[in-house]
Amino acid sequence: MRIISPIIIAELFCLIAAIFLLSKDKIKFWKVNIAYLCIALITESYGSYLSSKSIHNIWWYNSFILLEVAFIFYGLYHCLKEYINPKPLIFGGLGISYAIFITYAILDGYTTYANTTVTVMSVIFVAYCLYYYYLLLKDERVVELKYHPEFWWITAVLFYYFGGTTSNLFYWILKFEILKNFPLRLIIFYITNIILCSIWIYTYICRAKQRKLQS
Amino acid sequence: MQSQTTQIAILVAVGTLIFLLVPFFLVMYIRSYVRHKKNHVLEKETMKQKFEAEMLQTLVEVQDQTMQTIATELHDNVGQLLSLTTLTLNSINLGDSEKAGKKIESSLSLVNKSIKELRELAKLLHGEQLVENGIGHAIEQEINWLSKSGAYELKVSNQLFDLQVASPNKDLIILRLLQEIINNIIKHAKASYIEIDCYYAHETLYLKVKENGIGFSYDEKKQKKTGMGLNSIYKRIEMINGKLVLNSKLNKGTSIAIEIPYP
Repeated sequence: MRIISPIIIAELFCLIAAIFLLSKDKIKFWKVNIAYLCIALITESYGSYLSSKSIHNIWWYNSFILLEVAFIFYGLYHCLKEYINPKPLIFGGLGISYAIFITYAILDGYTTYANTTVTVMSVIFVAYCLYYYYLLLKDERVVELKYHPEFWWITAVLFYYFGGTTSNLFYWILKFEILKNFPLRLIIFYITNIILCSIWIYTYICRAKQRKLQS
Repeated sequence: MQSQTTQIAILVAVGTLIFLLVPFFLVMYIRSYVRHKKNHVLEKETMKQKFEAEMLQTLVEVQDQTMQTIATELHDNVGQLLSLTTLTLNSINLGDSEKAGKKIESSLSLVNKSIKELRELAKLLHGEQLVENGIGHAIEQEINWLSKSGAYELKVSNQLFDLQVASPNKDLIILRLLQEIINNIIKHAKASYIEIDCYYAHETLYLKVKENGIGFSYDEKKQKKTGMGLNSIYKRIEMINGKLVLNSKLNKGTSIAIEIPYP
């Protein structure tokens, strides 16, 4: 069975880039990125290992969702605070996501994939990303978009959660296999993850450049 | 059942592709929008710099004009008064006390007149303060110097005193426009009568100058590229979003009407 998946490779590259480019960063959010990617890599690796041993691993991924929600909201907070006070929005979204997670964990059990939570949080993330774009366009200041790390971080999130919307919606009936042992859902998941990690690597390069210019 | 699953799979694959393309085009749109915004900001900055440079140029021109006026006044007026005083004092015969007293009195009067003229000139030296008391006063001062020459019959209606609004930058440009128009009249128009009318209504400042000189053909001047003074007037009016209407007929004089949004 496969232990090393494209997601693990993408996350590993992303983590290496983050360590190289962000470890000296003084802003907390960028350092938290390293920690998050580290945990994401461990989660993915252990999840793959459990899967290779044919051990049930949904509970493991469900636990990671809690951290994923918190991290993405923290990132959105970091990006939005440049323009508004995002606390009500962030805590509101976080509250809704956790409430749904807990409700479905009680109703369906912790070993059932928290797809509703993922769908709802994806919608919230997409809405907040679009709101960030709106604020960016409305703002009078002109930013060098090509090297603006916050913009690219948000873009990566938008690609990942918006791109995964259809597969989230059809999660329960989507076991169609394109290749042997490769369901379509998994392929979509690979693609969106690779896009996410690639854009995040570019984000970290932008951040390192920005830090150099500011120092 | 298998066919239905295949259809759903196709639907999801196409849906995902579309859902990935949407953010892509959104990013492209934002990049293009930001680029346009950047260009717009740069354009605004360039315009601001141009305006500031033009303001500086205007200030220098106003000061230059003032210096010329002062030089002319010193030569033609104060200089003459003091020469006359010297001649009078030189001609005093101390033996004839009655005549000497009269001559001394006359000399004193000439010196006092000179002092008064010098005070007037000193006021002009503060070129940049010219518009500080308002555009009405600055225009009045400009007209005073023109009337002193005695070469023109003047009809003046200046209703710009005690204006409740002010715009120092525009005031400086308006004053310079008037100076340029008067200069053109003195240099080229060969006029004997000048009518100046200025007033403020509906957030617009109106300045009208009419003379009975030899007139000119604007198109001809433009073709020969000799109308640099007029070009500068047009450029400055455009800079402050004003309007200029020029009417000139050969041997029938010229009239210039200027409208400037104010303040």
